[in-house]
Amino acid sequence: MRNSLDLHDPDIGPVDVLPLVRLAGVTKRFGHVVANDCISLSIMPGRIKALLGENGAGKSTLMAMLAGRFMPDEGHIEVAGKRMAFSSSRQAIAAGIGMVYQHFMLVEDMSVAENVLLGQEGGFVLDPKAMRATVAELAARFGLAIDPAARVGDLSMGERQRVEILKLLHRKSHVLIFDEPTAVLTPGETEALFEALRNMSAQGKAIVFISHKLEEVLSVADEIAVLRKGRIEGEFLASEVSSPADLARRMVGRDVLLTVEREPVEPGPLVLSVRNLSMQGAGGALLDDVSFDLRQGEVLGVLGVGGNGQQQLVETVCGLIRPESGQLDLLGHNWDKFYEHHDWDGALAWVPEDRSGLATCRALDLTDNLLLTTREGFSRGIWLDRARARKAAQEIVLAHNVQPGRIDLQAWQLSGGNLQKFVLGREMRRHPRLLVAEQPTQGLDIAATEAVWQLLLKARQSTGVLLVTGDLTEALLLSDRILVLYRGRVMGLFPASDKAQVERIGSMMAGLS
Amino acid sequence: MSPELIIALLAATVQAGTPILYATLGEIISERAGVLNLGVEGIMALSSFAGFMACHLTGSAWLGLAVGGLAGALLAGLHGVVCQVFLGNQVVSGLALTIFGVGLCNFLGTPYIGQSTDGFHQFAVPLLADIPLLGAIFFRQDALVYLSYLAPVAVWFLLWRTSFGLGLRAAGEMPDAASAAGRNPQRLRFSGVLLGGLLCGLGGAYLSLAHTHLWTTGLSGGRGWVAVALVIFAFWRPGRAVAGAYLFGGVMAFQLRLQASGTNVPSSLLLMLPYVLTIVVLVFSAARARSARKNGPTARNSAAPAALGVNIEPVG
Repeated sequence: MRNSLDLHDPDIGPVDVLPLVRLAGVTKRFGHVVANDCISLSIMPGRIKALLGENGAGKSTLMAMLAGRFMPDEGHIEVAGKRMAFSSSRQAIAAGIGMVYQHFMLVEDMSVAENVLLGQEGGFVLDPKAMRATVAELAARFGLAIDPAARVGDLSMGERQRVEILKLLHRKSHVLIFDEPTAVLTPGETEALFEALRNMSAQGKAIVFISHKLEEVLSVADEIAVLRKGRIEGEFLASEVSSPADLARRMVGRDVLLTVEREPVEPGPLVLSVRNLSMQGAGGALLDDVSFDLRQGEVLGVLGVGGNGQQQLVETVCGLIRPESGQLDLLGHNWDKFYEHHDWDGALAWVPEDRSGLATCRALDLTDNLLLTTREGFSRGIWLDRARARKAAQEIVLAHNVQPGRIDLQAWQLSGGNLQKFVLGREMRRHPRLLVAEQPTQGLDIAATEAVWQLLLKARQSTGVLLVTGDLTEALLLSDRILVLYRGRVMGLFPASDKAQVERIGSMMAGLS
Repeated sequence: MSPELIIALLAATVQAGTPILYATLGEIISERAGVLNLGVEGIMALSSFAGFMACHLTGSAWLGLAVGGLAGALLAGLHGVVCQVFLGNQVVSGLALTIFGVGLCNFLGTPYIGQSTDGFHQFAVPLLADIPLLGAIFFRQDALVYLSYLAPVAVWFLLWRTSFGLGLRAAGEMPDAASAAGRNPQRLRFSGVLLGGLLCGLGGAYLSLAHTHLWTTGLSGGRGWVAVALVIFAFWRPGRAVAGAYLFGGVMAFQLRLQASGTNVPSSLLLMLPYVLTIVVLVFSAARARSARKNGPTARNSAAPAALGVNIEPVG
C-alpha cells in the first residue's frame, strides 16, 4: 500500500487494511444471460483498481450494482465491513460510492459551481462568490483545473468530466468509479485525468477505472482485475504484468468453446478493395494507410481492441463517411460512383454494432423494421405492398427461429439475440455481395451466438463478409483471413490458418509488431 | 403630438404593459421549471373574474387581488396535476386549460356584465412623482404597477440567487441531474407551476381591478398568448420580459389612442397590431437566437430550458 495513506484526509478516518468496498460472490442475471457470475472483489483506499474487459464482459453491470442502479441476484456488497443493499443511486452516494458515467449528468446552462453544489447549497439564499470559492478550493486540492464560473455548456468533455468528479468529491465520496472515462477525451485530457486520479488516490480515495484499453490500464492502475464473460478471469498487480500482449491474451481469452462447421468455398470476384485509406481525427490518425482486399466467398475478420479505427473503417465502407484520402472500391465501382445510386438488392448489406439504434427502430414493429432497408423491394410506384412485406417478415421469423415468432411485436420487445437474427435475416434478403457485420454476437447468449455464426458462414457462400470483432474466438472460428487494427494501422493481415501469425495476435492488438 | 400627449401615452403604456409583465414573469418561472403552460390566457380570464367578484362582494381591492392570484395558482395546479401526476401532454393540457378558463369566465361572468368595482386607484408617490417626465410616466400609477417594478427583480433573485431557484432551473434543464443531486424535480416543478400560476393570476386580476374597474367579457383579450410569446422573446430572462411587456403595452395603448382620434384606418386592422407584433417579435427572437448560436459557445444562451415540455417519467 502506498505510504501516502497516512495523509491528512479528514473524511477517510483511520486507514487500516479493511477494504472500503467488498463484493462477495455477486451474481446478476438478465433473463438467460448471466452478466456477472459470482464476482468477488475488494476495493482498497489509496489504490487505483482497473477493471479490464471487452464490451459485454459485464463491467458496466458490475459497477451499476455498486452505484445502486441494480440489486445483485446473489451475493452482497459490503461498505466498510457493513453489508449494504442499495436500491437507489442516492443511497450509494450516501454510502460514499460515486460514479462518473460516460454520459454526464450535468445542467449545461448552469455554471460549474452551480452544478457542483446543486443539492448541497447549504442555505436558501445563494452566495455565488462563496460558491465559486468553495469549488475553486476543492478543485485546487485535487489538482483539477477548472473555472468555477464557466458555463458547463461551454466546456470541453474533459472539463465536464472534472465537474462530475468535483460533484463526487464535494459529496465526500470515498470510492470513485469511472466508466470508460477516456472514451470522450483527447490524449492531453487523458493525461490530465490520469494525473488527477493519481492525486486523488494519493489522498486516500479508492479509484475504480473501467476500461478496455490496455496501455491506459497499465499506465494508471495499481491493480488489475480482468473480467471476461461475466467472470473474474484473473486479478493481479499491474507490476506483475509482463507485457500488454500478456494482458490482451488474458482479456480476450483463447479457449475455443464452440466449433462450427466450415465448408471450403472457392473465392469469387473482388467485392471490396481498400487502398491506402487514411483519416485524421482531432487526436491523431484514426485510419492510417489501410489497404486490403475482400473476395466473394471469404470472411475477413477485422480484429482489434475497441476504438482502434474499426468504426471509421466500417462507416467509410458503408457510406456514412466519404474517404478523405486513399481509394475505396465497392463491387468494382469507386466510392463516389457506388453511393451515387446504389441498389438496395444484390449489393451491400450492413449489420451494425448498435442493434437497437442503427439497425432497427425501437418502437416500430418487425414488418416496418424489415421495410427500413428493403422497402424498395416492396414498393410499386408510391405504393407500399404491406401484405407482401408482412409475409416476408413472417418468413424471416420462421426461417431464423426469431422468438417469440410474432411480427407485430416492436423491436424493443425482442431480446438482443432474436433481434440480431431478424436483422441478419433481413439483410440477407437483400442478396448482398458484400456484408459488413460489426460485433455481431456482442451481448448474445451462447445459443444465439452460434446461430449468428452459422448464418454468417452460410452467407459467405454468396458474399464477401467483413467481420469486425473484438472477440478472438469469433474471429478465428469464422475468418478465412485476419486483419489486426491498432490505432488505425494494419498490424497484420494473414490467413487464419497461419499458426505462427495467430500466435502473435495478442501482441499485434497491443500495438507490438 | 404634444409633449403632454406623449407622456400620457407612455403612462398608458406602463399600465397596459403591467398585466402582460406579471403573466410573462409567471410563465418564465413555469417554463424555467420545465413545464410549458399554454393555459395563461385561461388563467388570466378566470382570475380577472375571481378578483372582480371578490372585490365586488367585499369591497377590498387587496382581497380581490389575493383571490385572483389564488385562482391563478389553483388553475395552474390543475395543469400541474395533469402533467406531473398523470404525465399528460403539456401542450394539450395547456390548450384545454385556456379553453376551460375562458369558457368558465364567460359562463360565470355574464350576469355581472356592466357592473363596476372600486379596485385600485392611481396615487402619486411622494418625491418620485415630481421627477420631470419619469415621475409622470412611472410614479402616478396604482399600487399594482409599483409592485410590478419590483416583481422582475424578485423573480430574478428567486431563480438565480436562491437554492430553490437553482433546483427549479435544474429541474427544467436536466431533471436527472437534479434528482442525482438529491433534489426532487417533481416537487420543484410543481412549485414552479403554482408560483407561475399565481403571477399570471395577479396579471388577470389587474385587468378587472385596476385597468377597467368594470366587468365585461373577453377582458384578457389575448394577453395570455402575448405573454407566452414574450417568454421566448425574453430568452426566459425576467429583465428582458420588462422590455417586451412595455413594447406590447405601448402598441396596445397606441392603437387605442389612434382609434379614439378617429383615424380612417379600420379599427379591426388596428386591433390586430399587437398580434402582428407578436409574430414579428418571434421571428426576430429566432433570428437573434440563431446568430447567438453561430457566435459560438461563449455567446449567452438564448435557448429554451433543455427539458421544457418533457414530462419526468417515474423511475422503475
